[in-house]
Amino acid sequence: MLADALLRSMTGTTALLRVTGTNTDTSQSEVGLVATTFYEVAVSPVVMRKLHPTWQDGDESKWELFVSATSVTQQVNALNLESAQALFAMTLAVTVAGQDYLIESIASNEAFGQAYLYRLLLREAHKQGT
Amino acid sequence: MQNAKDSFYMALRTRLVAINPERTILLRGTVRPGILVEEAEAPFSQLPNDTFILRWLGLGTDPDLGSTMMAGQCEILYQTCGSQSFGGLDRGRALSVMDEELAAMTKPFYTLKLNYTATPATAMLTKVFWDEPTFGPCVIQRNRLSRSANVMVYSYQEQGE
Repeated sequence: MLADALLRSMTGTTALLRVTGTNTDTSQSEVGLVATTFYEVAVSPVVMRKLHPTWQDGDESKWELFVSATSVTQQVNALNLESAQALFAMTLAVTVAGQDYLIESIASNEAFGQAYLYRLLLREAHKQGT
Repeated sequence: MQNAKDSFYMALRTRLVAINPERTILLRGTVRPGILVEEAEAPFSQLPNDTFILRWLGLGTDPDLGSTMMAGQCEILYQTCGSQSFGGLDRGRALSVMDEELAAMTKPFYTLKLNYTATPATAMLTKVFWDEPTFGPCVIQRNRLSRSANVMVYSYQEQGE
């Protein structure tokens, strides 16, 4: 795919999507008691860029992550999901180079009715306790 | 206070299922009643529509009683854009329905305090009780109507809490 080749040529790297398991319908998981099953889904190639800084006090930096649609489709099929949107809806955080980010919004670029690139607007996540 | 918070949420959740079983949300891959605790879910970039969101804010204690009483302020947020079949023209009615559901969910103003760290949850000795909800004004953002209601939730600290 041309989009993949372009991402790779721009030092494309790998991002990990931290996805929740689907069997979370218990009262304990709804009140934050059970660390429900998480698994990490690798998507590659991806390219990240920092957005134009409109920095405000206490605000985290915003980033845009370009994700190969080929890789997303592979993972959607592997996880037996309906769509890429379903995958992103189950994603709690995105990890790139050891840093966690939260998804703010998702957009896709399409050609001939098919997505070739997903653009995730990300915000740096606060570090969590162990 | 955590047991009281959990019990309050579970009471509202159970009552919502009885009041309007069709109010559901797809969250973390599961369809569940349309109510959630904000601090127990992944951060939302935008709050989901047609869902009750419980947000815990203030906290107070009264140690001058036989048992220490704890009070937690729960803000319940909800918003709607109406339904597609009405082109959103029913958003005022949809918000009214949510107002009524919330008022009904909070009655009666008490529930048994349960400890959800055990499986199954174990009943504790005291109850959790709360005030009538104080409804805030409707906030209009283009085609979205939202409202928040505040409820003060009280419980006595028990041994081991």
